[in-house]
Amino acid sequence: MLTAPLAVSGKRGNAELLVAIDDAAERRGLRVGIALAQARAMHPALDVVPEDVEADATLLENIADWCSRYTPLVACDAPDGLLLDITGCTHLYGGERKLVTDLAGRLERAGFTLSLAITGTIGAAWAAAHYGRPASYANGDERRILCPLPLAALRLTPSIVASLARVGLKLIGDIIDLPRSPLTARFGDELLCQLDRALGREHEPLNPRLPVAPYVAEERFAEPIGREEDVLGTVEKLAARLAFALERRGDGARRIELALFRTDGEVRRLAAGTSRPLRDPPSIRALFAERLVVLADALDPGFGFDMARLSMTVAEAAPPEQIGIGNAEDRVEMDRLVDRLSARLGAQRVRRLIAQDSHIPEIAAITVPAQIKTSDGWTAFRRHRTEAELAPRPLRLLARPEPIEAVAEVPDGPPLRFRWRRALHEVIAAEGPERIEGAWWSEHGAPARDYFRVEDKMGLRFWLFRAGLYRDFVPGTSPPSWFLHGSFG
Amino acid sequence: MLEQLRQQLKALQKPAGLEDSLGALPLGIAAIDDVLGGGLARGALHEIAAPAEAHLAAATAFTLGLMPASTRVLWVAEDMACIESGGPYGPGLDAFKLMPERLLTIVVSRPRDLLWAMEEALRCRAIGAVIGEIRHGALDAVAVRRLSLAAGDSGALALLLRAKPGGDASTAATRWIVGAAPSSHPHTYQFGAPRFATHLTRNRRGPTSSWILEWSDTDGRFVLAAPALPVAAPALDRPRRQTSSRYVA
Repeated sequence: MLTAPLAVSGKRGNAELLVAIDDAAERRGLRVGIALAQARAMHPALDVVPEDVEADATLLENIADWCSRYTPLVACDAPDGLLLDITGCTHLYGGERKLVTDLAGRLERAGFTLSLAITGTIGAAWAAAHYGRPASYANGDERRILCPLPLAALRLTPSIVASLARVGLKLIGDIIDLPRSPLTARFGDELLCQLDRALGREHEPLNPRLPVAPYVAEERFAEPIGREEDVLGTVEKLAARLAFALERRGDGARRIELALFRTDGEVRRLAAGTSRPLRDPPSIRALFAERLVVLADALDPGFGFDMARLSMTVAEAAPPEQIGIGNAEDRVEMDRLVDRLSARLGAQRVRRLIAQDSHIPEIAAITVPAQIKTSDGWTAFRRHRTEAELAPRPLRLLARPEPIEAVAEVPDGPPLRFRWRRALHEVIAAEGPERIEGAWWSEHGAPARDYFRVEDKMGLRFWLFRAGLYRDFVPGTSPPSWFLHGSFG
Repeated sequence: MLEQLRQQLKALQKPAGLEDSLGALPLGIAAIDDVLGGGLARGALHEIAAPAEAHLAAATAFTLGLMPASTRVLWVAEDMACIESGGPYGPGLDAFKLMPERLLTIVVSRPRDLLWAMEEALRCRAIGAVIGEIRHGALDAVAVRRLSLAAGDSGALALLLRAKPGGDASTAATRWIVGAAPSSHPHTYQFGAPRFATHLTRNRRGPTSSWILEWSDTDGRFVLAAPALPVAAPALDRPRRQTSSRYVA
């Protein structure tokens, strides 16, 4: 069957060019880089798809994600390359060649065309993958692979390649043995730097796209798994494997990530945080059990997972604890509870109260996720309250003060009656005002507030304030208004 | 095997909230403690409702006032509750003896999560009391019963705080309707200690009654502010119920 040639077009400068073509288009004499109009003229049947840079980048990210089954060190080499550091990972597949066969086989089955190379340096691998024979392989003889390749394979700025070509230097082999100082003098540092990197004379770091976890354990399954119990069993098994390493270094995990590799190339990631360094495998299993409950069937194993990796992305020193003295045990129990609740409901929903150094009521006391360990500031707050003789504070504070209609004595009197949420409250006792200045130093600062504690006929007690002072009131502007901020018990 | 199952069944059937072994938490008011059989039963579920939403802060204060001193407390509320009635405000909590650093708050989006979080917390030995705040709607009776059982196992106090009295049958050991009562004389324009109109509407250990309570800041507990409202006097001579085989859900 003959398919119509397919090309992807994109804007380069002001011209609409072909940026990628398929085999059928190539056989018909089209090339990347020719103008779209010209290509259309050559082949009216050409199927043209506009380029989608973002989708391409996402696809590359997804493939990179999938490649992390081979090594945690994966870097994206935009627009269409990936770099994998497989140092020390090959034995899992029985050697480099087997790893490559596995990787290439899976990607080809997924419909990708690829060209790959394994060498001892990033530069040589890039050169061989882009310009060399398919599936090049070098083991200490990067020089042999590099020599026949064009100079562009060294990832040089095009202008340098052009000026080298002008003096007849076209292949890497042409410059590899030339004296270094004239080359540098004429073509700049970049040329020799890239050559040295490709030959391994100079180190080139790989920037992995995901931070590498200090503790990683993984498990491959001969038969894909999909049941929740199996996944949790694997988690516990992997955690037990890591527990040794953690214990030896006196560490515990603060953040744990579980990556499940689906047979079809999807990667599912679940993460759980802990409030204290953790290394007990059953507890880690329990955390992920909560995470799985929330997912329900969103875990979606498809045809099953053929690999699982447990990484402790954040680890912290866990000092050995003496159990049974004071209420240390209580605190451990408490942290476990916080972790379980946070794993199931989300860390943002499990909170504790802290006091902050501010005189503005809604900033003076806030809540933070309970897993975040910061000092709570209540001791300092109580000292401040005694010293400053603060008026009583309400038991419940509204997230946002609600406007009320109030009748009050002008300028500084308490409200006599007010209407809140359609109900009228007749004030029979009031205390105040307690003046709280707004953040006058800030551009967005609110006006000063005069707070009153009032009690209505039924005995309900509220915390009201007047925003703005009659002192500052300029006729013609809106007068100070009343708000209800909280209620007392 | 069969015997084992019978044992399990027996354990499950034990009436929740009537554990005498766990002891009671006295309020320090003889009239109430007598009615409750020594005080608020530990390891049981208690329900406190505000007569109307505006009284929720008073019901909250009463709930906090009931709890044993220096205990860790978990407070679960639906996100709507925090928007409508405001969240617990740290600087105001210790007026009712709750140290803000001992409080953990949880905001959930579904009632199911609320009950789950409460049960989970009740099973934790470090937590002394769990408050679940429900705005309205009936609760799943089975889930509430599970709460009673979880509380019975751990000895913690399970407290349901409602913005309106719930109409559903409940397995709670006690049910209260608590609202604010005027503390100040209408003409003096002076603040008094906060007062609570307290109605005990269900009591599995004895009769029900009503009191006006006042929070005493100096003692850190409730005191009787006024004689009981004109309702039938508590029948103190009524025999205590047997703890076995009288369970009605």
